Amino acid sequence: MRSPVTGWLFLAPTITVLAIFGFLPFLYVAFVGFFDWNPFAANPGLVFAGVNNYRRLVFDDLFLRSIGLTLQFTFWVVLSELVIGYLLAQLFMRDFPLKGLFRTIHTLPLLVAPIAVGASWKLLTTPGLGPIPYYLERWFGIDYRMGAFENQAFITTVVMDIWHWTPLVTLTLLAGLSAMPKEPIESAQVDGANRWQIFWHITLPMLKPVLLTTIFIRLMDALRTVDEVWMLTGGGPGTATRYIGLHIWRVVFPQTDYGYGAAMSLLTLYLTIMLCWFLYVALVARKPRGS
Amino acid sequence: MKKKSSLLPLLIWCGMTIITLLPIWWLFVVSMRTRVQLFGRPSMLLNGFYWGNYIEVLENEEFRFYMWNSIIVATSNCLLVTILALLATFALSRYKLAAEDSLFFWLITNRMAPAAVFLLPLFLIYTQWFNLFDTRIGLILLYGVFNLPFAIWLMKGIMDGIPKELDEAAMIDGASTFQVLTKVIIPLAKPGLAVTAILTWMFAWNEYLFAATLTSVEARTITTGLAEFVSVTGTNWGELAALSMLTLAPALVFLGFVQRHIVAGLTFGAVKE
Amino acid sequence: MNRRGLLSAAALAVLMSTTSFNAFADDAFWAKAAEPYKGVTIRGVSESTSSSNYAKDVLAKEFSEKTGIKIQFETTSWDQMYDKAIKDMEAGSGIYDFVYIEQDIIYSYLSRDFLVDITQSLKDNPSIASPTFKPEQFTTFADYFKGPNGDLYGVPMEAFLKTYLYRTDLFEDAAIKEQFKAKYGWDLAPAKDHKQYREIAEFFTQYGKDNDLELWGTTVQASSGHPASFYEFVETIAPTFGVYNWGLNTDTWAATVENGGTMNSDKAKAALNWWVGNLQYAPPESTSSTWDEVSATFSAGRAAQAFVYGENTAWIATDDTRSTVVGKVGVALPPVEPGVMEEIEAGKGYIGYYDGGAFGVPHSSKNKEAALLFLQYIGQDSVQADWAVNAARVTHQATYDDPRVQEQDQKTSGYYTLMRDQGKLFAGAPAFPFHGQLREAIAPYFYDAITGKLTPDQALDQAAVRAEEELTRLGYRKQN
Repeated sequence: MRSPVTGWLFLAPTITVLAIFGFLPFLYVAFVGFFDWNPFAANPGLVFAGVNNYRRLVFDDLFLRSIGLTLQFTFWVVLSELVIGYLLAQLFMRDFPLKGLFRTIHTLPLLVAPIAVGASWKLLTTPGLGPIPYYLERWFGIDYRMGAFENQAFITTVVMDIWHWTPLVTLTLLAGLSAMPKEPIESAQVDGANRWQIFWHITLPMLKPVLLTTIFIRLMDALRTVDEVWMLTGGGPGTATRYIGLHIWRVVFPQTDYGYGAAMSLLTLYLTIMLCWFLYVALVARKPRGS
Repeated sequence: MKKKSSLLPLLIWCGMTIITLLPIWWLFVVSMRTRVQLFGRPSMLLNGFYWGNYIEVLENEEFRFYMWNSIIVATSNCLLVTILALLATFALSRYKLAAEDSLFFWLITNRMAPAAVFLLPLFLIYTQWFNLFDTRIGLILLYGVFNLPFAIWLMKGIMDGIPKELDEAAMIDGASTFQVLTKVIIPLAKPGLAVTAILTWMFAWNEYLFAATLTSVEARTITTGLAEFVSVTGTNWGELAALSMLTLAPALVFLGFVQRHIVAGLTFGAVKE
Repeated sequence: MNRRGLLSAAALAVLMSTTSFNAFADDAFWAKAAEPYKGVTIRGVSESTSSSNYAKDVLAKEFSEKTGIKIQFETTSWDQMYDKAIKDMEAGSGIYDFVYIEQDIIYSYLSRDFLVDITQSLKDNPSIASPTFKPEQFTTFADYFKGPNGDLYGVPMEAFLKTYLYRTDLFEDAAIKEQFKAKYGWDLAPAKDHKQYREIAEFFTQYGKDNDLELWGTTVQASSGHPASFYEFVETIAPTFGVYNWGLNTDTWAATVENGGTMNSDKAKAALNWWVGNLQYAPPESTSSTWDEVSATFSAGRAAQAFVYGENTAWIATDDTRSTVVGKVGVALPPVEPGVMEEIEAGKGYIGYYDGGAFGVPHSSKNKEAALLFLQYIGQDSVQADWAVNAARVTHQATYDDPRVQEQDQKTSGYYTLMRDQGKLFAGAPAFPFHGQLREAIAPYFYDAITGKLTPDQALDQAAVRAEEELTRLGYRKQN
């Protein structure tokens, strides 16, 4: 009756699409990673290189720097979005006038195309064109020139990402908070627990699945950021915001170093999966306390 | 007590609104300025109503065409993904399938790789094996790779939350599997479907890198149109901003439709009813 | 009076009939030659610049009307255009029937034999050879697109010089001239050497501060994350210090001084120090400025001197919907170090960048004949003048003599005259088949010099070492 065959049939279209357009390219990239291949090298064909590309990657300063930057970026971005998103979600749990309107406005950044997000922030932050450098100088005496100062560029990309994606976190956490039963909190309040205790022992454990999901989604996407940062800084100043998505693009396209780029991609994918798995184990393995 | 507690949120939200709207407002201001007005001491206020940028963009039949392509690609992909995800999660939830967890994990990993990884092989596949280069269907299928995992993840929880007993009750009454789907599952899964639909649509609408690489003239989407403004003879910020604002418009409309369901649908199945 | 009027009327009538006859004959050629290809659609990719847009909006449409061949002309950003053209030709997928060949990439394309030999194809296929397409009419710029056998592989469609621009209104202002003379001891005029250029830059930056103006002394194309900064240094600045071909030894592909190159030579270090040092006299957006922003900066009146790509010179000087310095633009040869001009005139070097591009036909194209017809169409002398006036590009010698071009020349203080007379001092990019690859490998060191992470001296030392590494890895450099 409920034969697995029907089930597989339902899954078939999905698997087909993913196999052709996702798995096949992956196999290709895996294959090319074992070769030296640059159409503009003296030998433009595929030259077998074994694991040489991977060995080079381990010592490649630029690659390592890019990975490091990406991890830092992701850390700050995910952490900030979680904290801000949670606080905003809690705010939304209360009643206040025009709540619906605010929620709609808050969702707006999600609708803007990433490349347009990059463009708008570039317009905001270019000296001579945008208001931010001007007012930062005038009101705070800060010399804001993203093209010259690495820290400023890094911070700006973080702020831009927070602006763009916090609404997703807010809405997801709001969904979780809304669906939470109220009784445990109320009875804890009656028992005299303070805000922090309620948060740590009741809210957090109940919210854990939602939190985890949100962290993973944001983590995966932050690690892959390209469009916005490319438009905003081009990876600059120098290579200070050349996150791994951007770096791979530069190696594969302008530099046409296909073999090396393929190895880099595979290694990055592997690192991403490891990171997600590691987080998963660390956060889920602990048994939920209290009830 | 009630009054006091509603003032603080209000204040905070007013502040948040300013921050949220700042870049969008700035885009709007830039779109209303002529090229000559762009440089110099930046003023946050509109110093005139220059519609020229919008007119240029709207009158340009190429851009209208790109907009149209975007609408087709986004909407088709949204439909395709929602339907496929519905079927897939139905299967995962109602049927005992071997290697289910591994399958689910593999699905998610499709979303983890940086985009640049797949550009070259996909270019080759699209030009050598299947004649999909510069076709809308090519983009529609490709976006499935990124949207399906996300959609399935979203829908799985919803699907699991619909009790199997309802299915069984319907089947005892003689309903076929198809009827179970349409009469029992879909109505209950509405919020989840709505959220899946809009997030899928948004992604397809806003995607840039693959659209730029895998299309040329026929299937060009509006986001790639944005990149065209950047050239040696000066980035036309005004028109770029105008186009960005116009790109925002359909998304806003769509949002209006599914607003109410967003919050309910976004639990990713992490919360059991 | 009456007879004269009659005669001139008669002359006019004859003139008009012959021109229309010629035009008719021309059209007849296109229609006939294209007959076997009627209804075919050809596809091309180019950068989204005014020249290409003109080719797309005007020339392609004319061509389609006359021949019935449809053209799908994709104009996109610089990066995308390269990516897609290279991927297509590399994979042989036959997507594009004509591609934009920027002057610096021709060598890479030739080394991979990506392009069809146009001269040979027209010889082999006389039915599609147009009588109005005469390669000898091109300026010497066409030589860049010729292969080792002297055959043409690309039809030039745009060419410009990257020149030194300055604000004539500021330079000719009596009060300013007095102040300048008092401070520096020589009459204010476009700089002839780098010291003068610096002094002018310093002066105007101070002037801007003193008078509360948004004015600085110079532009610097120093986008610290985009190759544009690298290009300004190697194409425009280094040659004026006597460092050519990016500092590479073109026989051994050495870059370091120890191995016979000049990338980290004293001259190169002087050049980079000078260029990076100019940042203090440039507007704050300079470290975010690519070629777009530099022209925007100058056209917004924010700099007294600039190095600007030629295609921008025309609109900066004449278009008041985009520029606030219309009529105030002067053009001059860039400042040089002593001894460099002699070197250049002896044929050993060059003074700056001769930029531009051509359209070529990939071997992988499936509609070569139709594409060749289009390329010849845009290579005709008759379409050049309008094209020049609209996009400030000149690829035919005769274009300089067209009255409309001469009019624009007046308005731009002699840009076209400079190009015609002094163009020979400029050169395109060096003949590197590894152009893009090497650039990607060493540009980060230059970015670091801009941000101050490395001193210019360190940057050049490290870049030279890295360059040799990369060239060895790519298989070009043989060890000494």
